Amino acid sequence: MPTLESQEVALLDRLDGSNAELPDFTSEVYKDAYSRINAIVIEGEQEAHDNYMSIGTMLPEEAEELKKLGRMELKHMRGFTACGKNLGVAPDMPFAKEFFAPLHGNFQKAMAEGKLTTCFLIQAILIEAFAISAYHVYIRVADPFAKKITEGVVQDEYLHLNYGQEWLKANLATAKEELIAANKVNLPLIRSMLDQVANDASVLHMDREELMEEFMIAYQDSLTEIGLDNREIARMALAAVV
Amino acid sequence: MFGLIGHSTSFDDARRKAMELGYDHIAEGDMDVWCSAPPQLVEHVEVVSAVGKSIEGAYIDSCFVPEMLSRFKTARRKVLNAMELAQKKGINITALGGFTSIIFENFNLLQHQHVRRTTLNWERFTTGNTHTAWVICRQLEINAPLIGIDLKKARVAVVGATGDIGSAVCRWLCERTDVAELLLVARQQQPLLDLQRSLGGGKILTLSEALPQADAVVWVASMPRTLEIDSSKLRNPCLMIDGGYPKNLDTKFSGSGVHVLKGGIVQFFNDIGWNMMQLAEMENPHREMFACFAEAMLLEFENCHTNFSWGRNNITLEKMDFIGEASKRHGFSTLNLKSKIQAAAA
Repeated sequence: MPTLESQEVALLDRLDGSNAELPDFTSEVYKDAYSRINAIVIEGEQEAHDNYMSIGTMLPEEAEELKKLGRMELKHMRGFTACGKNLGVAPDMPFAKEFFAPLHGNFQKAMAEGKLTTCFLIQAILIEAFAISAYHVYIRVADPFAKKITEGVVQDEYLHLNYGQEWLKANLATAKEELIAANKVNLPLIRSMLDQVANDASVLHMDREELMEEFMIAYQDSLTEIGLDNREIARMALAAVV
Repeated sequence: MFGLIGHSTSFDDARRKAMELGYDHIAEGDMDVWCSAPPQLVEHVEVVSAVGKSIEGAYIDSCFVPEMLSRFKTARRKVLNAMELAQKKGINITALGGFTSIIFENFNLLQHQHVRRTTLNWERFTTGNTHTAWVICRQLEINAPLIGIDLKKARVAVVGATGDIGSAVCRWLCERTDVAELLLVARQQQPLLDLQRSLGGGKILTLSEALPQADAVVWVASMPRTLEIDSSKLRNPCLMIDGGYPKNLDTKFSGSGVHVLKGGIVQFFNDIGWNMMQLAEMENPHREMFACFAEAMLLEFENCHTNFSWGRNNITLEKMDFIGEASKRHGFSTLNLKSKIQAAAA
């Protein structure tokens, strides 16, 4: 004797929220998409290594610590290289180089101009938040081998985010203006990188919406930690929308 | 610290509120942007109870809007992310307001205890349903006589009787009142039979059978959008307590003799310096709030940091007594018809 047929409640009843099925890791379509995603991750870790080493040249007293971080990134790169091999996939490195080119260019330009705040924003906030968010989403749908590797990487990545946060927090008074300006230029790049990779990511069962949300959470957490207030963060995040 | 997880009543409303609060990045965004928007800790507040106890709280907007109900992955993420934020902020006890607890229950989010690096500690959350059930029962007891209904002679229908709040209301009415007859209405037959057996009474009816017979109707299920009811077939007087979410009964019933009261709403004795209840569209936003939110405040006032209301059909009369006593002691009262009429006249 069903009497209540509320559309919304009936809908809620049908969906039990069970986990999405994992993709077929052996299919050609999966491997094809993986060749680009895997390459992006490998290239991303290489870029991170290079960027930390570069920052080290600007902060000689921190060089040792940054070198340690850089080495960690290389370890991650080897881990992700193994993930590709494990699936029998050759990473499309030329694609990945091109993918990172705009952000890479902006980092190099900031380096040349001695803009340390911009360098930290690009590497320690944007790239790290992008990586952490993507890894969180990936862990939920990765093959067992890659899942284990990625879980280990995520733990390390939080260290890097913290490192950049600490520096920016300590220097916020003098760095804020440059931080906001650099964000305006570079946050839209992250958004367009996400758009470029969305189709391949969806083959890996990674939703664009979820990726973006995870990124915004990591980004927002990071800016909060640095000492920005809700309104300042909202204004900065606007650069990802418009 | 207590916490409240809430959301706007519609997408348009959410965007307007976001603009007012200075969240331009999402205010200007389309639905995709909102689906990707992180939860926001919108406001901190200090509340002093009627016995002078002072507590602090925070309001978290999950950035969920009811339009997302058909996107269950999105809805699930909104709830879990908001809960993670509450826990990360060190909030002791957080109430799941509006659709939040409904999504938690219906999507079985208990199986999603790990959110990124956080393992959600269920002890820190409450659905607030015990207080809501107690408030609805008191609203019935207080307001029925005001419009000439003698509960001893009245038939009371509970629509959504087998739910968490509904079953608690049924137990209270059976044990603590002299209601002449209890009419049990719900979608599924077997839980109704189980409920009837556990109550040792009550009459199982369909909605259309129950409505013309009922002197009072407690609604604790969402109102079917398509439901049309001929008010002329209802009893006169008839008290309708709208305890569901969203509260839309007043758009369905009109005409003399039918009195619709927003169920599960309480008033605090003093103004609270927050803007959050404007988000929830309360008539008197500095004093009125959902009883489920008030439960988190009460648990904080009482230093009772536990998931007081949790799971389905765990609400006992003893728990209702405890939260009811705390409610009165700390300065809450139920929203009543009388105060509504006075407010309208003022």
